[in-house]
Amino acid sequence: MAATTADGSKVVGGGEKSNVDEESKMITLFSSDGERFEVTQEAAAMSQTIHHMMEDGCVDDEGVHLPNVGSSILAMVIEYCNRHVASPDEKEDIRSFDAGFVNVEHHTLFDIIRAANYLDVKELMDLCCQTVADSIKSKSVEEIRELFGIVNDFTPEEEAEIRKENQWAFE
Amino acid sequence: MEEEGREGRPRADAGAAAAGEDDEDHFDRLPDAVLLDVFNHIGDVKALGRCALVSRRFHALVPLVDSVLVRVDCVIPDDPPPSASSSSPPPAPARGRGALAHIARFLLGGIVRPIQALGQILSPTLALVSRRSLAPPPTTAATAPPPAGDISHHSPAEVLRAFKELRRLRIELPAGELGVDDGVLLRWKADFGSTLRSCVILGASSVSPKPPPSSPREPEELASIPESLHTNGGLKLRVVWTISSLIAASARHYLLQPIITDHGTLDSLDLTDADGQGVLTMDRTQLQELRARPLSVSGTSHRTLMPSLIMRLWYAPHIELPGGVLLKGATLVAIRPSDDVLKEGGGAEAAGPAGAPWISDAFEEPYRTAAKALFKRRTYSLEMNSF
Repeated sequence: MAATTADGSKVVGGGEKSNVDEESKMITLFSSDGERFEVTQEAAAMSQTIHHMMEDGCVDDEGVHLPNVGSSILAMVIEYCNRHVASPDEKEDIRSFDAGFVNVEHHTLFDIIRAANYLDVKELMDLCCQTVADSIKSKSVEEIRELFGIVNDFTPEEEAEIRKENQWAFE
Repeated sequence: MEEEGREGRPRADAGAAAAGEDDEDHFDRLPDAVLLDVFNHIGDVKALGRCALVSRRFHALVPLVDSVLVRVDCVIPDDPPPSASSSSPPPAPARGRGALAHIARFLLGGIVRPIQALGQILSPTLALVSRRSLAPPPTTAATAPPPAGDISHHSPAEVLRAFKELRRLRIELPAGELGVDDGVLLRWKADFGSTLRSCVILGASSVSPKPPPSSPREPEELASIPESLHTNGGLKLRVVWTISSLIAASARHYLLQPIITDHGTLDSLDLTDADGQGVLTMDRTQLQELRARPLSVSGTSHRTLMPSLIMRLWYAPHIELPGGVLLKGATLVAIRPSDDVLKEGGGAEAAGPAGAPWISDAFEEPYRTAAKALFKRRTYSLEMNSF
């Protein structure tokens, strides 16, 4: 039986029911909303969570269910993993891919972070955390709150005290 | 986490579009461990200080950060400002360099500038600067005398006080301590435990773009160090470079002891400068050694005592670097305490033909290539007493 992968190419299953297909080394992932994604084991192994499941033999005939990851985000994470296992040595290309990859709205970026955290994909976590860190680095306190919708829950006295303690941080 | 205090916030206006589709705090969806991960990617300690003011949650997590970069704004001498008439030369005007450029003077004369008399080594104070006034800082802010009361200085130790879980600390000085003439190359890398463990220095009397191939080249003498090095003061100059670099390194090491004592969780420490002139590093073992056995001070100066040292010096009249740069009078010096060398029983021989990694890997490209090329040449051995 054949199935369509997330990137549109078809996977030939050769009649096998098992989704941990030894010949093409594919594995099926199910998003929280029930969509199927076929990925190579190599790409899937970038997720330490899935990697450990594969190693511990916890992957059943159906594949891996990921109740915490929605289909659109899972598709993006898979795209990232596919790209990174494909040509890990082409540093320039990967850098520009990464830059484009994180050029998304904060809402999406944070969803990706949650997914990467749950799936334990270290490189993706580093990339996304660095992106968020970069957007925080140069901003003032008010700008940070504004950008991320954070509420100032200090009393005015507390805030004044902390500002005094951290005076060195303000120029 | 409860969303208190939201009353009165406008919803779904243009501002919210910038903050996201709704008003929610994006970070609400991330666990503390992930937020801490973000903070660990920020690095700059001032940015972290601002983060601590954003919300209670941020304030609780910032002190747990394990990796921090401290950019020192300026270096202040302990002594009264040199604008008062004093016999010591005024500090060089650029970026606070002068205050730390208190390198021993040798009777060889003004080869390295600026130079101060031996023994008059100021105790530099490193500072991060914050300004209370709203006026934009002038371009030479770090060195222009500040209006009284307008600027406050904060030491790195003060700034780092809140960080209890630091594992990796990088401190960056605004400039290298050694004032070298234009076109001269001087770089050093040293690592320390309680005292110096090793130091590698790369220097060149001139750095210039490679001349076109048609220019005649002097015949290379690979085998020997040219006589001219002895006669034209070249060797003495290199000794001055060496001692200056060691003094700068030992002064940095001395400054670090209180910070190292305060932060017992540190695994790695680097003290660099924005010019890329000198790098002092300490790894976890070396940091523990310093905590167990505090450094010895050199006399009344504010720097760590150097043990007696064995040095090897390699010289080449010309070295071409990748990227089309020509070094003239290129010199590599590798230094270790005599005790360490003798313990290893190898005499002055530090390593096999490829060079020990501590020498060949001391610098990044393109200087790494230069060091490797120099290593192939004949060498001098020098010994130096403790100072």
